[in-house]
Amino acid sequence: MADDKDVLRDVWFGRIPTCFTLNQDEVTEREAEPYYLLLPRVSYLTLVTDKVKKHFLKVMKQEDMEEMWFEYEGTPLKWHYPIGVLFDLHASNTVLPWSITVHFKNFPDRDLLRCPSHSVIEAHFMSSIKEADALKHKSQVVNDMQKKDHKQLWMGLQNDKFDQFWAMNRKLMEYPTEEGGFRYIPFRIYQTMSDRPFIQKLFRPVSPEGNTHTLGSLLKEMYPAAIPNEGQQKRYQVVIHGIEPLLETPLQWLSEHLSHPDNFLHICIVRRLDEPPSPSCLLVFPTVTSAP
Amino acid sequence: MSSCVLDKETFRHCCQLLLQLSEQLGDCWCWVPVQDSQDGYLRKTALRLVTIDSRPFGDQAESSSELGPHNSCLSGPDVQQNDQDQSALIGSANGDIIRGDIEDQDNKDNRDGDDGEDRICRMCEGSSQVLQYEYHILFSCSYRAPVLYFRVCTLEGRSLSLEEVWGSIHPNFRLCLQTSPFTMVTQQEHPLLGQAFFMLHPCRTEDFMRPLLQAAQDQNRPVNYVLTWLSMVGPVVGLDVSLKYSTQF
Repeated sequence: MADDKDVLRDVWFGRIPTCFTLNQDEVTEREAEPYYLLLPRVSYLTLVTDKVKKHFLKVMKQEDMEEMWFEYEGTPLKWHYPIGVLFDLHASNTVLPWSITVHFKNFPDRDLLRCPSHSVIEAHFMSSIKEADALKHKSQVVNDMQKKDHKQLWMGLQNDKFDQFWAMNRKLMEYPTEEGGFRYIPFRIYQTMSDRPFIQKLFRPVSPEGNTHTLGSLLKEMYPAAIPNEGQQKRYQVVIHGIEPLLETPLQWLSEHLSHPDNFLHICIVRRLDEPPSPSCLLVFPTVTSAP
Repeated sequence: MSSCVLDKETFRHCCQLLLQLSEQLGDCWCWVPVQDSQDGYLRKTALRLVTIDSRPFGDQAESSSELGPHNSCLSGPDVQQNDQDQSALIGSANGDIIRGDIEDQDNKDNRDGDDGEDRICRMCEGSSQVLQYEYHILFSCSYRAPVLYFRVCTLEGRSLSLEEVWGSIHPNFRLCLQTSPFTMVTQQEHPLLGQAFFMLHPCRTEDFMRPLLQAAQDQNRPVNYVLTWLSMVGPVVGLDVSLKYSTQF
């Protein structure tokens, strides 16, 4: 793998221009200016918003500030999803910058996980990596790693160090050539149309007959509505990292290159608006050539 | 090897058996199906008398020996709580109490403007309180194992924080918590409901189930994976499984 290092870099350095506005019900001493940040798609909201908190601290009393949380158009944003997933899922058709509302009161306990410190994010991140490796390698790779190796993955993400992260992460992306891929592909399919937050099942990169599974074959099994029937108009967009990969893209390749640092391939299904997506955001990825 | 992990069908089968026993024993497990899918989970609610120890990582681990055995949830449908379909288990006064000082939780828990509420919810020093536990058993396809999710709130409806949950864990299990709290109990999104729950981490489940299943296999003894597993992990968070599940049938 990793012949496509440019793709890994593009994924890692994806950014979303964001405008943070203080919720108008917060008690302030004077008017709060909005705060602008370029958010890394692969990171977590609570990991990169210390500056946002500091900014609003200037106009608020400490005692009026409880745990900070974020909302977009009435939806509390789950910090434990990667930022890019939150944007694709809730705001992919919005104009930029993405406008997020910041709250310091009325934490929605039922909907959001608490995030009192970065160690909570680290635990969540490592738990995702472990789960992904349970699917990919029966946990063998992650269990063979030392504590400092785990730390290296986390520090790489926390400090936005691509090389540091990938020096270790590539071990998690290896597989025996003869098997043609991981045991199972760690993926999650998100949509906002039902209460169930995501779909996650067992799915292999190669069919029992030896055919390469593609993004299309995954969707066909997990979320058939996302694939338009012939002649039918497309109702949904299938978005990963802000782009719509071709449905013919091999799943194993997507898993290796378009997974988030937590090692899961996060796929968002969003209702399509009337206008077609601009061609510039449709990248072309390798497609399956006929099976050897 | 293959007998040490669980598949979805076996999980459902084990759950069905557990439900039958639960009904006969007057325990209150129920199956909650998830809309538009085959999936679902086992659910049970219980009331427990608990003292929250504010220093779960402190020096009180050694004091565990002074405590009586962890026991005595008075189970039974006769103790009903306001919600009709919810069962109630009340821990006896000497059952689940954990020694230790209680931190003033006030500053953390002042969530909204209703300060009157918050005063009442506040953990006061030296006292224990009745908490409402909601337990869910789900199947994890990644770990091919059952996973215990739960949430806890006061009778006034205030959710407990992770620290408070850590503080409520029985001293017998504290040692593990002290060394690596985050690998044991963390807050996680409920994968079927999308809500915030606490979770007992499943990544070691296969390891501790293997010898048990192996032994059962060697002795040609049938074993209900979910029940056996639950009897091991449940007590960590106050969910005791009656011996009758194994002895009466």
